[in-house]
Order: sequence, then structure tokens, then C-alpha cells
Amino acid sequence: MTAASTIELSYGMPSVSDAKLDERSLVIAAQRGSSEAFATLVRNHQRRAYAVCRAIVLTHEDAEDAVQEGFLHAFKALDRFLPDQPFGAWLFRIMANASLDLVRRRKVRDADELPETVPMPFRDPGESDELRRRLNQALTKLTDRQRSVIVLHDVEGFTHGEIGAMLGIPEGTARSDLHHARAALRRILKDVRSDL
Amino acid sequence: MTDIRLHSNNDDDEVVRGLRSLYAAPSGDAYWNELEARIMARVADVELGWWTELDRWVRPALTAAAVLLLAAGVAMFRARQAETAIAIDSMLSSPAVPVSTAIRPALQDDHEARLRYLFGCNNQEPSCSAPNNKR
Repeated sequence: MTAASTIELSYGMPSVSDAKLDERSLVIAAQRGSSEAFATLVRNHQRRAYAVCRAIVLTHEDAEDAVQEGFLHAFKALDRFLPDQPFGAWLFRIMANASLDLVRRRKVRDADELPETVPMPFRDPGESDELRRRLNQALTKLTDRQRSVIVLHDVEGFTHGEIGAMLGIPEGTARSDLHHARAALRRILKDVRSDL
Repeated sequence: MTDIRLHSNNDDDEVVRGLRSLYAAPSGDAYWNELEARIMARVADVELGWWTELDRWVRPALTAAAVLLLAAGVAMFRARQAETAIAIDSMLSSPAVPVSTAIRPALQDDHEARLRYLFGCNNQEPSCSAPNNKR
């Protein structure tokens, strides 16, 4: 069965197992050199991949860079992937690694340049919103890992185990990071409120 | 204005809502289509790169080089073994030239003359002269 026919079949009412089968077929087709199959995998996973990267890096632009790097790494490593394993988990680990690499590079660069201001996690036209501004300020006070864990868990809905696998930390550490991040956010936001 | 109700039970919900709005992925298919196109353009660059072609030939080339090296090594080993065997054979075998041919013909004549002289040859005959007189 070709990747194209698989895609055609998936337009009906795909069940979870059908979707897995389709993904497996797509992965096998991509491993055999089908660019169309790989493009479909990109299309299916790029939003979630962006979310993973966005949780780890500080800006939207960095998240875009990390997503592209991540897919490039995935393409190069595709022949080493076993199709019976979940493609998403494998891909998101690669995305997380690409993002962590980018964060490390940025830190080295920023240490060289000694910036005067801490970059804000998000640049958005609607940033005048009070909640966002306060959250932005609060998020800069968290460690990189705490911020990544709370966003991946509370915003993207990843489990502690998935977060641990992505970030290369034990599940218990992810759980503990989440607890501390939430507590820190509550504390910081409380302080901000008391200042007003 | 949105306020954060820090003392209520909904603190976490409020924070999560705020985080979701902060970390919301760009909406609109145009953005994602463009991102996909950019990703695939980079993938195509990798696919068409000379290193991909090189990578395809690396394994066969390495295998061929290894086989050649092995063959050359075996050939050198065998040649050396043959040389050693020949050298040993030549040392152990008898001389190729017979001993009799090693005696000079002149000495042989001298020997015969000496024998004739000793066993009663007449001195007056020209052929019975002493061996030393011959020279």
C-alpha cells in the first residue's frame, strides 16, 4: 500500500488504530524516500511540535527555528526509527532536544553579549492584557525547566512521564518541577498583586 | 480588566488560562502551510546535497577498500612465505654443480702425468716427462 492510498483511506472516519496504522504506513513510506509521506507527517505533527518547542524556548521565533531543526534532525534519523514505536513520542523528544540545544546556544551568546534586559517569553499584539503581562513577569522568575514543565503539562496536556522522556529527566523530577513551578507562580503573582 | 484571583480556589485555573493564551500556537492555516513549506524546503536541501550522494557510496566504498586491503595483505603474506620456503630449500638441498666438474682439466692432466710417472713410464718418451717439467 502506498502512502498516497493510505492518506486517501484516512479521509473517511479513522479510528485510533486506523490513525496509528496510517502513521506507520506514512513512516515506512518516508523511510523509503517518499517526500510526500514525510510532508504529511510534518503536516500532522507540526502544531504539537511547535507547542513542545514553544514551551522550552523563550520566543515564538526561536520555537519556529527549533521546529525546523527538529524536523530536519528527524528526517536525517528516520532510517533509525522503528515504525512499530509511537512516532509522536520519538519526534517530540527530537523537538525537545532541538529546543534545549537552541536555549543552550542562546545562553552562550547572551553571556557573551551581556544583554541588559531579560527577553519576555511572548511577544504579542495583545500584550496589554494585564494577566498576560503579570504572567510574563512571573514566568521569567521560574527556571527554564520549571517553565517548560508547567507549560507542557498545564497547557499542552502532556503527562509527567512524557515530559520526563522529552526533557531527559525522571518522571518524579517532572512532577516535582511542576509542583514547584505552580507554587512559585502563585507566590510571584500574589506578590505582584499586593504591590498594586 | 482581567484580575488574577489569587486567594480563590480557581488560582490554578486562572494561571492555566493565562498560560494558554500566552503560549497559544499561531492560528490560521496559512501560517502552518508556510511553515510546512519551509521545513520541506530544508529537507529538500538535505536530500539534494552532495553529501547524501556521498553517504550513499560510503558503505560500498568502505567495503571495497576493506576487501582490497585484505587481498593485498594475503598476497603479501603468501609472497613472503614463498620466498622463505625457497630460501630454506636452497639451504637444505645438495649443490647443483657436480664435484667432478669442480676439478680443473689442467689439474686432471697433471694427475694423470703424475700417475704415469710413478708407475714405470719411460723417461725418454716425451709423454713421460715429470709433471713439473710440463709447465
